[in-house]
Amino acid sequence: MSANDSRLDWVLAMAPYRRDADYLEVLLTQHGVPVQRAAGVKELAVLLEQSPGTFVATHEALNAEVLETVRRFLTDQPAWSEMPLVILLDRTASQARIRSQLSAAWPRSRQIYYQRPVTALELLSGVQSSLLARLRQRDVRDHIEREIELRRELNHRVKNILASISSIFEMTRRRAVSLNDFSNDFAGRLAALANVHSAVFQANGGAVDLRHIVDLTFSPYEADSHNRLVYEGPSVLLSPEAATTLALCLHELATNALKYGALSEPEGRIRLEWSASSSDDILTLQWVESGGPPVSEPSRSGYGTRYIRSALSNLFGTPPSIQFRRQGLHCTFGGPLQRVSLKHREV
Amino acid sequence: MDPSPLRIFYLEDNPLIVFHVEAMVEDLGHIFMGSASSLADLVKNIDSLEADGVLIDIDLADGRTGPAAARLLRERGIPSIFVTGQELIAAEYPQTAMATIGKPVSSSDLADKLELFRHRS
Repeated sequence: MSANDSRLDWVLAMAPYRRDADYLEVLLTQHGVPVQRAAGVKELAVLLEQSPGTFVATHEALNAEVLETVRRFLTDQPAWSEMPLVILLDRTASQARIRSQLSAAWPRSRQIYYQRPVTALELLSGVQSSLLARLRQRDVRDHIEREIELRRELNHRVKNILASISSIFEMTRRRAVSLNDFSNDFAGRLAALANVHSAVFQANGGAVDLRHIVDLTFSPYEADSHNRLVYEGPSVLLSPEAATTLALCLHELATNALKYGALSEPEGRIRLEWSASSSDDILTLQWVESGGPPVSEPSRSGYGTRYIRSALSNLFGTPPSIQFRRQGLHCTFGGPLQRVSLKHREV
Repeated sequence: MDPSPLRIFYLEDNPLIVFHVEAMVEDLGHIFMGSASSLADLVKNIDSLEADGVLIDIDLADGRTGPAAARLLRERGIPSIFVTGQELIAAEYPQTAMATIGKPVSSSDLADKLELFRHRS
């Protein structure tokens, strides 16, 4: 849209008799409505392009060329636009005939007719209600533009989610030893993605607290493992993308612990701690398992380990440290806070 | 076909897609050198970047910076290929990447397009 739209609405006036034109200009200007006068048809076309709030014309102004110029402008209006027109007719003119002619000639316009002489108050209120109608139209335009933008953004997000799910599907399938296995792992990962999506949605697309993400991830495990899962850390606000990646990584760590690690035995424990140092703005997370079966490095790394390595390197710019200590898995990761906070990404 | 493996780097801000493409690249016998999520990340590490070719998404964590990344790499003699769901936008930057791979990435398309990197170094 042109920059002219942002300024106060103005009236485009066309009146061949100087007296009429002066009268209109003085009346409207006195009441705070800016006026631009079109002397000829060329000027009219130029001014119409600048999107006036209302077009006011006297009957004498409406020669064939002017009628055609206005018609062309009205036809080319964008969908939201229905230009208000104020027409001043002569007392002697046949009102009904002119009205039906003009409304046939000029599509998609909002026409108001006055018979001269018209009182200042009457004319002023007609122009003001026209300008108000124009303002509402511009509101509609803004809504339409916003909706187009939202649809584009939605499309982008849906594509992104589909791509994510497709990656999860393919990668889960690669390592599945049975259909049952595949189905459990895939459902778990999809649920983790769905949960973090809800959290992001509830945050209105804004920042999500890391603590909330940790709560979400651990809640399925907490029912039958009270006090075996301990976590502690300050409130850290994450961008939706960072929240998603961290939730999926924590999900992998937790399911791994349930299958092979600390949560596979009644005495096992997990401690997750995170800190955000204010001096250098670094977020560090530490996942420590203990009390589970003795751990040794697997000969072939599975989905979880590979995903955590790949995703956390991408998110933080440095790979995580994953140590298969005998007493339990030990995983440390983190990086600059600004990489995971909302302002990092331009929306 | 030349059997020597190619070293591939990936600029993409969706870690799940990186994860998947990384596995596909390795399955094809090539070497996955790592990933970065933004142009800023690439710039920071460009002096130590060892790659025969770079895969680049158009939209990265710092905006529509994929084409600028491709231009920067090209100046350094490193060829690149766009990987994007927005092929029409990729087409607006003809003098940057050698080719475009559509998303979702198929292994056969990836295999063919990666071979293009051999003729540029």
